Amino acid sequence: MFSLVNLLQIGWTSLATSSYLVLFTLAFALVLKVNRVFNFTQAAVMTVAFYAAYTLVSLLHLPGAAGLLGAFAATLILSALLEIGGFRTLRRRRASPIFLFIFTLIVSELVSYLAMMVYGTWPTTIFPSLFWPVRIIAGVAVSQWDVPAIGATIATVAALFAFLRFTRIGRSMVAVADNPDLAEFYGIAKDRVYLVTLLAAGLISAVAMFLYGTRAQVEPTTALNLLLFAIAATIIGGIGNLGGAVATAVALGLLQNGSILFIPSSWQGFLLYAFLFLAIVCFPRGIRLPRRRLVRNTPTPDLDDGKAEKA
Amino acid sequence: MQTDRTSLPLSRRTLLGGLGAAGVALRIGAPGIARAADKLSFGLAMPLTGSQATYGQDQVRATRWAIEAINKAGGVDGRPLEAIILDTQADPQVGIQAVNRLISVDHVPIFVTAWSEVVKAVAPIANDSKTLELSVGANAPAVAKLGEYVYTTFPLADVDVAAVARYAATTLHKKRAAVLFINNETGIGSAQVYRKSFTGAGGTVVGYEAYDPKATDWTGQILKLRGANPDVVHIQGLVADTPQIIAQMRQLGMNQTISSYSAIYNPGLIQKLGAAANGVIATSLAPGASDSPAVKAYVERWVKEVGRQPNGLPYTQYLHDTPYLVADIYKGMLAKKMAMTGANARTEMLAIGTFQLPLTGKLVINPNHTVDKPVYLMEVVNGAWKQIAVVG
Repeated sequence: MFSLVNLLQIGWTSLATSSYLVLFTLAFALVLKVNRVFNFTQAAVMTVAFYAAYTLVSLLHLPGAAGLLGAFAATLILSALLEIGGFRTLRRRRASPIFLFIFTLIVSELVSYLAMMVYGTWPTTIFPSLFWPVRIIAGVAVSQWDVPAIGATIATVAALFAFLRFTRIGRSMVAVADNPDLAEFYGIAKDRVYLVTLLAAGLISAVAMFLYGTRAQVEPTTALNLLLFAIAATIIGGIGNLGGAVATAVALGLLQNGSILFIPSSWQGFLLYAFLFLAIVCFPRGIRLPRRRLVRNTPTPDLDDGKAEKA
Repeated sequence: MQTDRTSLPLSRRTLLGGLGAAGVALRIGAPGIARAADKLSFGLAMPLTGSQATYGQDQVRATRWAIEAINKAGGVDGRPLEAIILDTQADPQVGIQAVNRLISVDHVPIFVTAWSEVVKAVAPIANDSKTLELSVGANAPAVAKLGEYVYTTFPLADVDVAAVARYAATTLHKKRAAVLFINNETGIGSAQVYRKSFTGAGGTVVGYEAYDPKATDWTGQILKLRGANPDVVHIQGLVADTPQIIAQMRQLGMNQTISSYSAIYNPGLIQKLGAAANGVIATSLAPGASDSPAVKAYVERWVKEVGRQPNGLPYTQYLHDTPYLVADIYKGMLAKKMAMTGANARTEMLAIGTFQLPLTGKLVINPNHTVDKPVYLMEVVNGAWKQIAVVG
């Protein structure tokens, strides 16, 4: 079991599987960081993304690209409706955070039930088949799904970080995340930032759900289960730390799969919650690696303006 | 209490919505045939709302069709049969409320319910009140040990899982088996049944791995099983994750015979897996449309009236047949002039023992709370399910 090929296989498959988990986590962590909402409506957005793609590809027999575009469109519409009709209204009414949280829970359940009424509870996939042919590379099975999934995830993560760093609205999102009142004082329209954040999270969720729905079967309640992983990774990675959340999602995926080498398989599911428990108790701000502090040699300003010397 | 007569101009959705909101009873029967006092009632506690509603509603529809047919044919010795239907949401707490009402308000001698958690939660009420509880659909082996008044009409996991294990060892001559099972009560119990039956038939279980119900990747477990080099792998999972597990096994080079149970016996498995599905063996606990003209007509009725096949076809077949079983019990009680009590219903059911039912065939209810049913073994051959054996 401890052969190099087996270890490489577990590592590779875990990496590929973590592709959508990373994106679910990134979307959740982004909304939590900027909008400061524990956003369970993401499950609703994920469900809508999947069934939009499923309708176009599996039911209407359109190409996969049309399914992805449909998922994007559906998530953008739902995210805009949620922000404008839900979150914005609740903010204006000065709803408490717990009330916002309950609202997100209700929305996720509501959409789950709607999906169940429209599509039933039978598990489905975006493409008719979920079997992807494999190539054996150095003894490791690499499926035709793996590389595009990892590529799409890297591209999405890179696009988000570039968006946050190089665009005006992205920098506004960072500013609002740091201090919303100060950002507003400097003229940043908070409502617009909150809307863009939900839209961005919706697009990320759509990519992730498209990847998931092309590899696994989905039911109306699947998204809520997947979101639990994202929440755990966000908390362990450190709330407000997008990079930490992404790294944690990958690490947790590897750990869960690799753990079977060391512990009985029946304990595998317990691991995630054990880590979550330890993280909350021991690292309430998340597990952060020590950083090298960058010190610039700048002259200390002379606050007394040289008066002491004159005296 | 809101009461439904099947002729009322209310839509089913309106009724079910009202039921869910108010927690009231729905009565399905044929009141035109005889006076209300002549009715013979039984309870039906099923999920009409909630996450399992799509299954529960289809099962209730199947029950309703059967009651209509029984009453159209004259009822039970001229008395109409009636089901008092309450919503459980597949939730134990809601199920307890529903069953308490069926027993204390409606005074039914028999009630029917499903979903393991609900079946277990209401069992003490059935035993305390001496009301006969019929479980239809739950297959955890523990259902047979829930008390004097709890019986199943559905084969428990030890029937079909044991059958497929024995078939692998004795007919397919597989010597080394591996088991991959979901880490919940049903999965654990069924995996134990497989291990016991396979070793009892002379084989050896060389791999035995659980997986988390929320897992989306099974690489670790599959590599462990691959290392054990089994001749056959039995998967005891869910309908949602089993196709993906099989796909991953094939991708990782495991081309052994794969067996599972009734959950994967559906056309979707072949569609999802393509050629990778070939050689997969599943079980069916009820004859299919190709095996029985009655089942064929039943499926055609679904397509004609509802526009689709029922969710969980075999389960709806069992629910469809339940009123026939209840009618037989009541008929026997009437013939013997027995009081309509749960204790008498239990006595009469065990006295009858063997029932001939329209969609599921012969059913033997044993005093040890299990049932005997033939198990249909199905295999994917050249992209289609083919019956390879009927055992038991």
